[in-house]
Amino acid sequence: MSYGRFLLKRGFQGILVVWGVVSIVFMLRFITPGNAVDAVAPLDASPELRDRIAEELGLNQPLYVQYLDYLWDLLHGDMGFSYISGIEASQMVFTKLPATVELAVASSLVAITLSIPLGVISATRRHQPADYAATTFSLVGISTPNFWLGIMLVLLLSVEFGLFPTSGRAFGFIESFRIMASQGLSPGINALWQWLRHIFLPAVTLGTYFTALITRLTRSGMLEELGQSYVQAARAKGLPETLIRYKHALRNTLIPVITVLGLQLGTLIGGAVITEAVFSWPGLGTTLINAINIRDWPILQATLIVIGTGFVVVNLVVDAVYAYLDPQVVAE
Amino acid sequence: MSHKDSGGVNRRKFLGFAGAAAATAMAGCGGNGDDTESANPSTDRTDTSTPSGGDQTATERPEPTSRDGYLQRANRQAHEQAPWVFLNRQYSVYGKSDDIEWQARSDEFIDAYGISPATDSGDDVIINQSQMDSGLDPQDHRATPTDNIVMQAYEKLLDRDREGGIVDSLADDYGREEEGRVRFHIRDGVSFHSGDNLTPEDVAYSINRIVDPDTGIASPQQDQLAGVTGAEAVDGERAVDVMSDGLNPIVFSLFASYGPIVNKSWIESNDGSYINQNMDGTGPFVLETYEQNVQVVFNRNDNYWQEAAEISSLTIKSASESSTRVNSLLSDESDIIVNVPPQEVSRVEENDGSSIAAAPSTRVIFNAMRYDVEPFDSPEFRQAVNYAIDLESIIQNVLSTFGDATGQPTLDGFFGYNADLDPYPYDPEQAEALVEESGYAGAEITLETPVGRYLNDVQIAQAVASYVDDLPNVTASVEQRDFQTLASEVVDGNIETSPHWYLLGWGNTTFDASQTIIPLLTTDGVLSSWSNEEFDRLVAEAQSMPSQQ
Repeated sequence: MSYGRFLLKRGFQGILVVWGVVSIVFMLRFITPGNAVDAVAPLDASPELRDRIAEELGLNQPLYVQYLDYLWDLLHGDMGFSYISGIEASQMVFTKLPATVELAVASSLVAITLSIPLGVISATRRHQPADYAATTFSLVGISTPNFWLGIMLVLLLSVEFGLFPTSGRAFGFIESFRIMASQGLSPGINALWQWLRHIFLPAVTLGTYFTALITRLTRSGMLEELGQSYVQAARAKGLPETLIRYKHALRNTLIPVITVLGLQLGTLIGGAVITEAVFSWPGLGTTLINAINIRDWPILQATLIVIGTGFVVVNLVVDAVYAYLDPQVVAE
Repeated sequence: MSHKDSGGVNRRKFLGFAGAAAATAMAGCGGNGDDTESANPSTDRTDTSTPSGGDQTATERPEPTSRDGYLQRANRQAHEQAPWVFLNRQYSVYGKSDDIEWQARSDEFIDAYGISPATDSGDDVIINQSQMDSGLDPQDHRATPTDNIVMQAYEKLLDRDREGGIVDSLADDYGREEEGRVRFHIRDGVSFHSGDNLTPEDVAYSINRIVDPDTGIASPQQDQLAGVTGAEAVDGERAVDVMSDGLNPIVFSLFASYGPIVNKSWIESNDGSYINQNMDGTGPFVLETYEQNVQVVFNRNDNYWQEAAEISSLTIKSASESSTRVNSLLSDESDIIVNVPPQEVSRVEENDGSSIAAAPSTRVIFNAMRYDVEPFDSPEFRQAVNYAIDLESIIQNVLSTFGDATGQPTLDGFFGYNADLDPYPYDPEQAEALVEESGYAGAEITLETPVGRYLNDVQIAQAVASYVDDLPNVTASVEQRDFQTLASEVVDGNIETSPHWYLLGWGNTTFDASQTIIPLLTTDGVLSSWSNEEFDRLVAEAQSMPSQQ
């Protein structure tokens, strides 16, 4: 199979998965208790008002008609309107996407910056205090629930010491640069600083589990690589230990680490739901929770479809990169 | 200004001034009609309701002569027949920064116009609530968090003071013209934020947009203006006539709580999505920026028809987690936060620079018992459940005193409240005896409660079930339910789909008993769990009389 055909096949499979996600998400509305009119109508609404609301929202149509209409609209980029506010679902979801992506990327950066050096130190100083410290950190990091860590960080660093804001997102990352371009360097830098202050605690909270995971992965990978015969050969050749560790062993260790990083990006978006709630971070997670709380199905559907599609796209990219790096995958 | 409805003296206020002795003396000849009886149900069990469950009263009392009297009598009927486990009046508990001066209102509205800066940093106020708006169209929602946002920029014909009394707003005079028609005189010199002047046509359009779906939207506020059929500008006068189906005794009360006024031309020239993201009201604050589900920023309206607000800017944002809101107050990032849970109160109180502001709300928390199913078809059993509960202990321990015990569906301060009725006392022995009398000894009952809908709802339900379960002849347990699912079973108009015993809360910002007891306790009420002929009759009589509120 050629590389192009492989990509086409994977792309087609991706579309099928997205369609499956759309269908399941749509059907969720009908298998969960309660109905959409109850979410919109006041408790003491008369039956006439309920009927009128159902008619206005198109909920009095047969199920298959509603489904086909939804699919048709979706193919035309129309994700519907919020039952509650009447605002376009795509607008509500896509305006929140940058905040979630920012948070996922920032927490990945926190994780990468901390975990790879920790993993390497841990592996190269095996059974020494530094190794024990790194191993303990990773164990604690993996075992600590996100929401608890977030609350503790806020209590300590925000409420007690006043170092960071407790919640919210003052500016977006890109918005900071827009401010820099339109209003000058100083307001731009101030906006960027505010962005950094606001994102720091959520990024650390969300990135801690990830940091711990990658630390363990890097440590075991490094230990395995350092035991390989090519490392012994390099040492026999008299290459400096630093070169052997960081140029040869670490490079090979990073291949599976990068794969996991890519796949975990989707998980990060899922995990961000709790972190966003703790920090009132206005991203997809907060939107999802709000939509669930008020049974705003079009927003709930749009959010889940965007998250689901994100997973599929990340997987496709990882598959494509893998196949490019390892042609055996295409042949198989 | 006339402010006339039926004319005459406000009887309730008069009785309040005259004192209890005078009130008793007036009984039977002046219209209260419900002040001759003992308040304690344990000594006043003149209701000899049949053990078979027939909901009827044998009490003979003089017929009331006023609407207030009928509503009070209806409350007594409900108290004696106990269709609910009467629980508590919920409090609105806010955290407040010392940078501002502000007092909580009983109708749960955070009136930013009433905020004064106490320090230099109190000029720009940030309110942090649990939810953001559901769009900015003031007539296309029915949620308190949305009201707290949109009603900073929009206004009503009438308004309420902090205690719930009716005051003028965009109408500077009002009165009843005939049985189904009232007239509001529209204040001169009021303009919308866009610069357009307020006209009677705007007011008539606003009312019609709510009550008439053909005017634009199927407004969920239609039932808030119950009975109102339409409005029209009066030729040659700066006034609007509002028509009702029948007398509509609480029409002024409705317009003091509901019916935001919009700019007709602005609404008609924009689509729903735009109206939901922009504002053009007459209120004290002008929309500056709107970020859906993030924050809404207002600036002071310097062209306001009253004196401009004391604060310069107002930002409203939200955090669904109560701990996040409390932390933002303690870190001086918010000036007012809503719904401080009892366990966080001490943190706010002990912090330098913040305090608690609490006010009794208009929401009553209760356990409805379906009158048509065993064992709740027995009034004795329903009374027994009321006697079994130590309500004061629940308020003390579960609600940290942020609640008032109730013994009737209507809250203190509301029109139709019966001041003679005390909450059921805690008397487990009486409860046990009543269970035996009801013939349902050994009954097993389950209390269904929403989770997180009301302040400590699950904990209240668990305490109630625990007290009832302590009776040797009843077994009680709690089932936690999703609110929407529970509510959909209650509101579908079919009593047979409702749970047998469930916890619910009901807010009533009209300060009139009818808006609680009609939907919740009359036979045809949308959420009713009870049917009682005498009760229905008393309510119908009350609704046929003009209100003297």
